[in-house]
Amino acid sequence: MSNSVPPSTTAIATSAHAEEHTRDTSAIRYLFSKLGGAAISLGMVIVLGFFAFKILPGDPVASIAKQRSMSPEQMDMLREQFGLNKPLWQQFIDYLVNVFTLNFGESYVYKTSVSSLIAQYFWPTILLTGTAAILAIVLGLWLGQKAAWKHGSRFDKFVSSSSLVLWSVPTFWLGLILLMVFGGTLHWFPTGGMRSPNPPTDFLGASIDIASHMVLPVITMVAVVYAQYLMVMRSSLVEEMSADYLTTARAKGLRDVQVRRRHAVPNAMLPTVTLIFMHLGGLIAGAVTVETVFSWPGLGKLTFEAITGPDLPLLQGTFVVFSTIIIAMNFIADLIYRQLDPRVRRA
Amino acid sequence: MHTPLKKKRLRLLAAGAAIACGALAVAPATAFASPVVQAETTSDADASTFRIATSGFVDSFNPFISIYLLPTNTIRYMYESLVQNSAEDGSPTEGLAEKWSTEDGGKKWVYTLHKDMKWSDGKPITSADVKYTYEQMMNVPELGTANGNLVTNFASVEAPDDLTVVINMKEPQAPNPGSEIPIVPKHVWEKIDKPAEFMNDSDVVGSGSFLLESYKANESITLKANPNFWRGAPKVDKLQYVYYTSSDAKVQALKAGDVDFVSDLEPTQFKALEGVDGITTHSGLGRRYASLTINPGYKTRDGKEYGTGNPALRDVEVRQAIRLGTDTKTLLDKVLDGQGVSATSFIPSSFPKWHLSDDDPAIVKFDPAAAKAKLDKAGWVVGSDGIREKDGKKLEINFLVTATEPVEQATAEFLVPWMKDIGIKLNVESTDSDTSSTRSMKADFDMMFTGWSVNPDPDYQLGINTCMNLPTNEDGTGGTTQDGYCNPEFDKLYKEQRSELDEGKRQKIVHDMLAMNYTDTVQIATWYKNGLEAYRSDRFDGFTTQPKDGGIIANQAGYWGFLTVAPVEGSSSTSGQGATTGLLIAGGVVLVVVIGGVIFYLVRRKNSADVE
Repeated sequence: MSNSVPPSTTAIATSAHAEEHTRDTSAIRYLFSKLGGAAISLGMVIVLGFFAFKILPGDPVASIAKQRSMSPEQMDMLREQFGLNKPLWQQFIDYLVNVFTLNFGESYVYKTSVSSLIAQYFWPTILLTGTAAILAIVLGLWLGQKAAWKHGSRFDKFVSSSSLVLWSVPTFWLGLILLMVFGGTLHWFPTGGMRSPNPPTDFLGASIDIASHMVLPVITMVAVVYAQYLMVMRSSLVEEMSADYLTTARAKGLRDVQVRRRHAVPNAMLPTVTLIFMHLGGLIAGAVTVETVFSWPGLGKLTFEAITGPDLPLLQGTFVVFSTIIIAMNFIADLIYRQLDPRVRRA
Repeated sequence: MHTPLKKKRLRLLAAGAAIACGALAVAPATAFASPVVQAETTSDADASTFRIATSGFVDSFNPFISIYLLPTNTIRYMYESLVQNSAEDGSPTEGLAEKWSTEDGGKKWVYTLHKDMKWSDGKPITSADVKYTYEQMMNVPELGTANGNLVTNFASVEAPDDLTVVINMKEPQAPNPGSEIPIVPKHVWEKIDKPAEFMNDSDVVGSGSFLLESYKANESITLKANPNFWRGAPKVDKLQYVYYTSSDAKVQALKAGDVDFVSDLEPTQFKALEGVDGITTHSGLGRRYASLTINPGYKTRDGKEYGTGNPALRDVEVRQAIRLGTDTKTLLDKVLDGQGVSATSFIPSSFPKWHLSDDDPAIVKFDPAAAKAKLDKAGWVVGSDGIREKDGKKLEINFLVTATEPVEQATAEFLVPWMKDIGIKLNVESTDSDTSSTRSMKADFDMMFTGWSVNPDPDYQLGINTCMNLPTNEDGTGGTTQDGYCNPEFDKLYKEQRSELDEGKRQKIVHDMLAMNYTDTVQIATWYKNGLEAYRSDRFDGFTTQPKDGGIIANQAGYWGFLTVAPVEGSSSTSGQGATTGLLIAGGVVLVVVIGGVIFYLVRRKNSADVE
């Protein structure tokens, strides 16, 4: 799972202009520059989505027909169906037209449109990673602020180091261990999938069925990623704690808890919120491993299957979707950061 | 500030919270009650739902176009073919046809169907259905995607009466033309607008033992028993394929009782399941063979050379020396953990009629001394570093292995010293499977691993070793050659066996061909890998293997594996309850956290109230 996302450009505030601008024009300029950046990234992703998979070695038809009794005529027919007999530029134009009409062509393996596949597998991924993200954020921030407040204490050392240990654990390995212990051996939770093969039909039963399938993958994801929220929250709160206004607050006679909750934490949230958004994109892309271990029918598993196929249109589709989510999240992070931090607004 | 009033209010609040917690505790209990009941009711049904773990791709369930293993195996259950591959040894046995005969020296095949067979919707199965199916494949190229190669020799198909089918062949043909092609109901398929795009993934009308009921991509495939199946209804109500992405998850699912059957296990997984309560492991003779293919110098059909193979390997003596210097018995024991059978040729021993027996005079044993003698004879002299040379060139060959295949990597570990011993330097090159399949096609290798799943009739596998199937283009396309082999003598025998209707004589010709290919040494068949399978023997038994004696259950060239499977007396599902228990525990944990949270909150409220 990719835990790291490249730092946003906003982290470095754009160089201050000497002249005064009105707030409106600078806001619009800021919006457009970020939007432009996102658009350029997206354009590059789309072009890369075509060529990166074109330079992959191997003839998709040969791979698909591998070890099957197929005549050359049958294979030629498949090539024609996949549009592989067309010249490269023609394939590229077809691909561009497809992308701009939000259609990534037809999957080689599933024989249906890639966009319908993505639409179908999108929600399970959102359900899984969304739940995991919320839990990881809540857990990370809560532990992070506590650790920072008592930083240097035994609690801090334990919480920070245990989260870092979990963060360094390979997701695949952790998932497999949980699967073996709580699935295979103890039989507490299902060993894979999102629903039982014969799920209950009533709403409550169906929800519980899905929830029981979510427990292990969600725990795996949360365990691996909450550390990043914890560390960000911890470090920004530690930085905040030396600020004078906290001394003032204490001098007013406020209790420690209140100083922390009402004064320090809100300020420390600034960098944290933007980082949360930036990490969300990475979290969704990181679903590939967890979904593969737990056979969760989402975009991650779809990508894994597309790689083993290999199913090029499907790979292109999931690649563009994952990249778009990351770009969009970074863009939102930029906007939120500006909204929250007056220093960026003024710059 | 502690007034009695405030205390009273606090107590009230606490009592309220306790009641709320109690309600919370009861609510999940009632909520859980329904799935528990559900699990119990489904467990009764489960007793006759046989669940198989799978990770296979599904392109469609359309028998005309589906090419992946999982749907093809499923289609074997859904649609009967004219002739079936027997469980005993894969030889032709009754399918829709109860008997058949040949006329005109194999140019005409006449079949008689069983009487009173019905499609699953109750309509009669007639020769018109067979004629319709074959003609669709012959006349519409798109409908030949799956099995088009099987009808290329068909001239015409007739249905003189409801129970008779006549296939007129272009050339005389010994392999039974009625096998392997699923017959579809004409009355259903002729109404389909674009049959080549039809997915056929729900409510299938078929003639087989099980019919597709529903398909949820990447979740499950459900088949229900067909009461109209001509051999009689199966003993379980449903077959269900359940999706697991990783093979480790499949093993866990079997242990947890979430599925009843897993196949394609790794030797380590297989060992881990041995002796587990309620589980039986099964190592069966498979229908795959693996081999080291040696680049003999690839040519196109019209004789143009292509590829990058080492010219030294064009000398049959060098190739034979490599065989003599390779100890396939040790490879089988050490690399495959003994889970297989030593191979002689590309026809596995699970088809004993065609397989080249171990005591055939052509077969040679591991003999490094003989290998060295061969190389000496071929003019390769041992140099100062122990590597042989000829005309100033070292005898170095490249061995291409796939990085993700431990078996190939391990084989290389053994081959390097063996080859060094006879004076050949083996350079191992590791790459990904797509690259290796492309390089294999372009003949861009000296030696590499390969393997095929073989059908009960040897005709196809022999055919792809003829000069006829060499590629037409220098990039390796336009052909289906197995090892770039081309020997006119072999081709002559190929034609003979194809039209030899006397099975004994055909058998002799096939053996001669395999011996010839063995001696020409374009490949060294290493082993026939066993299919490693495991199942919940506390719930199901009665599997029919192919071959019947020691064969495999899944991935057969037939539908026998799950045809006779039956629930064990008094068994019930273990799944469902396990998950429910887990959920109850999780629910309990959540509850504790919620209660704890409420109490924590109340205490906090009290504390901050004290300050302000």
